[in-house]
Amino acid sequence: MALLQRFIFLLLFMMTYQLLPCTGSILEEEFTEELLLKPLPDRKVLAHFHFQTKAPPSSSNGRHHHLFPKAISQLVQKFQVKEMELSFTQGRWSYERWGGFDPMPSNNAKPPGVELWAVFDVPQNQIDASWKNLTHTLSGLFCASINFLESSTTYSAPEWGFPPASRNLRYGTLPREAVCTENLTPWLKLLPCRDKSGLSALLDRPSIYRGFYHSQRLRLISTGPGLGGMAGIILEQTLTVVLQPNGRRTIVAHSGEAPVQPSWSMSSIFGRKVNGRCVLAKSSNVYLQFDRGLAKELKNHQNENKDSGTNNLASEDFWNNPGFELSVKPDGVFEEINGLHSESSSVLYKFSMEKYSESEPCDLSFKWKIPVVWSCKQAPLHATRFLMGSGNERGAIAISLKSTELTEGFLGANSVDDGCKVQVNIFQVVPWYVKVYFHSLRVSVDQQLKAPADVIEKIHVSPSKDKVSPGVMEMILKLPCTVKSASLSIDFDKGFLHIDEYPPDANQGFDIPSAVISFPKFHASLIFPKDDSLNESPMLSKFQQKNPVMSYTEVLLVPLTTPDFSMPYNVITITCTVFALYFGSLLNVLRRRVAEEERLLKSKAATKTNRLSLLLSKLSAKLRGKPWEPPSSPQPTSSFISSKLVLRVILVAGIAMVWQYYFS
Amino acid sequence: MAEISEAPEGNITRKPGTSSEPHELDSDFDLKTMRRTKPGLKRLFLTLSVLFSFLLGFPFLWKSVEIYRSPLPFRDIDLLSCQLQSDPILFPFNFQAVFVGFDSNPDHLHQSIRGEINELTLPNPKCGITDNYTLSVTVESSSACLRNSNAWPSSPCLYQCGAITGVDFDRNDDEAVDELLQSVFGGCSGSGGKMKEYRVVVVVNGENPRAVVGKYRNAWLVVDGSEVEDLAARVAEVFVKVFMNGGKEEGSIRNEFMPVGADGRIVLSFNLLNADPGDWIYDWDFQIIDETLLAPMIEAFGPVANISVESQVLYHTPKASFSHWDQKLKSHVFSTKDLPFFVNSNEWHLDTSIAAGGRSKILQFVVYMPSAKECPLLLQLPDGEISKTNSFISPMWGGVIVWNPQSCLKDSENNHAARHTIPSQDLENIFEVFMGQFRQLFGLKSVNHYLGASGLWDLLPSENSFTEWELDVLSRQHTCFNLHSCATTLGSLSRLVQSLPRMIIMDEIGKQVKLSLEAAKLAQNNVSFGAYELSAASSRQARSMAEDAFYHPSIMSVSYYSFEHCFAVYSPFFLPVSMHVLLAALREMKRYRQEKAKYLAWKAKVKVA
Repeated sequence: MALLQRFIFLLLFMMTYQLLPCTGSILEEEFTEELLLKPLPDRKVLAHFHFQTKAPPSSSNGRHHHLFPKAISQLVQKFQVKEMELSFTQGRWSYERWGGFDPMPSNNAKPPGVELWAVFDVPQNQIDASWKNLTHTLSGLFCASINFLESSTTYSAPEWGFPPASRNLRYGTLPREAVCTENLTPWLKLLPCRDKSGLSALLDRPSIYRGFYHSQRLRLISTGPGLGGMAGIILEQTLTVVLQPNGRRTIVAHSGEAPVQPSWSMSSIFGRKVNGRCVLAKSSNVYLQFDRGLAKELKNHQNENKDSGTNNLASEDFWNNPGFELSVKPDGVFEEINGLHSESSSVLYKFSMEKYSESEPCDLSFKWKIPVVWSCKQAPLHATRFLMGSGNERGAIAISLKSTELTEGFLGANSVDDGCKVQVNIFQVVPWYVKVYFHSLRVSVDQQLKAPADVIEKIHVSPSKDKVSPGVMEMILKLPCTVKSASLSIDFDKGFLHIDEYPPDANQGFDIPSAVISFPKFHASLIFPKDDSLNESPMLSKFQQKNPVMSYTEVLLVPLTTPDFSMPYNVITITCTVFALYFGSLLNVLRRRVAEEERLLKSKAATKTNRLSLLLSKLSAKLRGKPWEPPSSPQPTSSFISSKLVLRVILVAGIAMVWQYYFS
Repeated sequence: MAEISEAPEGNITRKPGTSSEPHELDSDFDLKTMRRTKPGLKRLFLTLSVLFSFLLGFPFLWKSVEIYRSPLPFRDIDLLSCQLQSDPILFPFNFQAVFVGFDSNPDHLHQSIRGEINELTLPNPKCGITDNYTLSVTVESSSACLRNSNAWPSSPCLYQCGAITGVDFDRNDDEAVDELLQSVFGGCSGSGGKMKEYRVVVVVNGENPRAVVGKYRNAWLVVDGSEVEDLAARVAEVFVKVFMNGGKEEGSIRNEFMPVGADGRIVLSFNLLNADPGDWIYDWDFQIIDETLLAPMIEAFGPVANISVESQVLYHTPKASFSHWDQKLKSHVFSTKDLPFFVNSNEWHLDTSIAAGGRSKILQFVVYMPSAKECPLLLQLPDGEISKTNSFISPMWGGVIVWNPQSCLKDSENNHAARHTIPSQDLENIFEVFMGQFRQLFGLKSVNHYLGASGLWDLLPSENSFTEWELDVLSRQHTCFNLHSCATTLGSLSRLVQSLPRMIIMDEIGKQVKLSLEAAKLAQNNVSFGAYELSAASSRQARSMAEDAFYHPSIMSVSYYSFEHCFAVYSPFFLPVSMHVLLAALREMKRYRQEKAKYLAWKAKVKVA
């Protein structure tokens, strides 16, 4: 009986499998999930989740959906978004330690806070309106204050400085936006399985937010009007986290030499295991990537040990590799096809999640056997940005570019040729209250001041308008290949804001968004051999794209003069009091009859002395120990004063009562 | 200047007192009670002028710190809400009863039908149910064609005798009869102006007696010669209960609720929820359903509301409450008392639509696919029966259907993680239930018969799922709902504005309120003409304008300038200064009075002397 059942099951299984390709040929919405794990040189682990949902061109886009999130599709339809990227980031990608040349930092390292750019498919005059509506919609969708990007002072329209160079591009950042779970939950809501099953189930909130770097990204690509004006949409959701595996035990293992990197497993870094794939996903894979540097080190080590040149990491006997140990047997090993940098190539291990289930969860663990020290490949020039000057009046922004070992090695080879130049694009947005003087732009190469025209090939500047638009600076620098360091500096004055425009906690300072440095002649791509199983992986095809190497600089914090926010009231009160004093005294002078009053006082003093004042003077005399003498001088009689005082008090009380009565 | 002028005056006033005494003959001239000169007016005049200039300046200051408030027509708003509260919106109706093959006095019949209708409507005239109607009765016997005396013979809408014979009703084909009646009376609805007319035809035919309400505005009653008085009651009932009231039972969903957005749009959001895709995944071909089933309904519904349709499939969406296993039914049973906990708003991401504007009403329709461990899932009625449709509605929210896949009866392991499509037959059934739910959300019946006090009426279904007379009912209801909600919104706006005297009110709000009131007036006018669609349209406009005014962003703004703020700014100056000015004026007046009394005393003395 059981056999029969199994047979039927098999039959059905085969039938469904045979049917699947048929239904697949009609364009259907697709979802894939992938996770890339990568050990980093500084004992950390990079985890990069890549979810992609694809909606084919269809007339029902925006109305009927099976897998694709309806909200995103409607957003694309409503605002005619051609391309869009939204990222929420916390922490800063460390370009020196975690690499700056790979597709990973180029595509996925983002500036802290929120960054949003979008290309619209609408006429020029409607772009700003679309942008504003889009920011509001996104802020509703992602529970973030993206709506602050609505104001024209916060976004800009780069011409060619930002990679998807398009006239319909708008770019805005919010460097101070705090990123937390409330942004992740709506982001997960766009996935068909949310965080209920599949790889996204690994996203344990405490472990993710404990990480050193966390960037959650959403990218939309409208595949353009294809069949009869209908557009398909590709939604790419990535989450990049840098986590510290907890490996105190292994550190002390080799006391003499460099400590062994901590071993880690999925359950140790995320606190969870993968309970199989998301059933809706077309493919569900975990990849383990070795950097070029690491692969080289491991290979060297292997060669040392075995002395057999045929051995490499990509071969089948990775299992008993002397350098490390994997708990799960990979479903495939791929070595990067390396065109340019023949000395080393990256290695990729693939683990398919198809075979795992609730009862048999996948817990990929990675154990180092030997201490390995390597470094990640750097961008041609390492960029930092800082502030110069002091005081609350003026200052200068400086961007310094330093050559890395890549430039030395890679560019140095070509440096025999005099005409060798490195092209660097810089895109910088400056808020309007930082008033930049573009004429003060100074460029120095290798500590020598150069005329800007010698180095800057092309520059586009749109000066800021007060309270209207930020200043945008886009430039292309051509630096000689032998450059060791280069720096740009530009002076600015700090502006004054209206009292209403200060944000809460204005004393913290104001952020200048990150500058974008890109190297258009350098392409960050990882090309793996053509293999069916790899080709259909959207993450790897993303890696293969020839995107320019890009990096973001630090966010700068500019302290501006902040007023005392109670100042208006103080000013009002002081001026009013002064006016009132002046007015009162003038009126008194006009009105008073000094001579008559004096006469009156004299006569009064003569007639009667006040009992109270008498008593007081007696008392004071007693206290002083002097014999009391009756007051002789024409003292201001207190009876007069007290009656006036009483009158005044009554008047004030009366006004107060009337006031209270009338307004309560 | 003041001091210079002060000095001589002081001298003058003082001198007589001090130095001229010895010259004075009167020894009893008392310095304290008398004076010889007239008291000077200069200082009094000065202080008073300062005081008055202050008082004069005050209104200017008041005006300058005044915040802008557009004048709102509070009285008109109150009037509108009073009007709507005191007398309900009453639409006029036109009824026509045709008796074929009878031999009785039309005036008499007219009298008795009128009596019956009045009896049915009088107790509670509310929206749509009214005694404001015209009734014409035609009795056609074999020999004569008689009308009631006050009928309007030249009206094209009146029944032309001979057009209908009893033979037409022989066949049991109600559709054909409906079409026939429509062709007989149909000419009138096109040309007869805005007024809609409802007709009942009573025919004697022994063959197959029946009572049917057609899908246009006609009903027919085939009898085998019963008493005319009974017939009058039945005719009156169909007029009042079906045509006026839409065949609704009392106590069902309240009439006033209409799930239509303020912009006159409804978004139907259809959701297929796979509770656990690990067990099975079902998908649907919604495109086809949209085109074949929903499109005609949406078109027919046009006059009442603009409908758009969306659909999505969601996964990992368990229900919020537990069901229990019933051994007898071999299924999991979910009882009615737990229904409020069925919808799991944490896990069911039935998003609001971005495509729809902010004011559209979104109705969620949900197909719930239970997971393998709760399959089959049945809903139990309060009386212990199992729901036939396995579904429920939630007023103003939408409806839920539980659909159990066939395979859950079999071994569920077989189809693990394979994708299925809901069979088209099942999908059609689901959408029939949805249509019924949609009708119920609007307060219409989802069954095709109406059981009145005097008998059963078959209701002929329309292929658009809404018959013409039902749409009329909805238009009327929509008008009432809109007017009421417009009045409440404007009422709360006026209360809010009056309670916050320092709130800025933009001109735009004033304009919107005015437009809303105008539209409401127009709607009321249209109501009195009996133009259902027009009144629905203008009432919708009135409501949306009222809501625009109420939700105007400037009302929400925080920067409203409170009186305390104003006081804090101006009091440091005005409080001390006003004290000075007032006291100076008072003192000066007092002094002047004293001095004048002195002077007068001296004068009197001089005179006496």
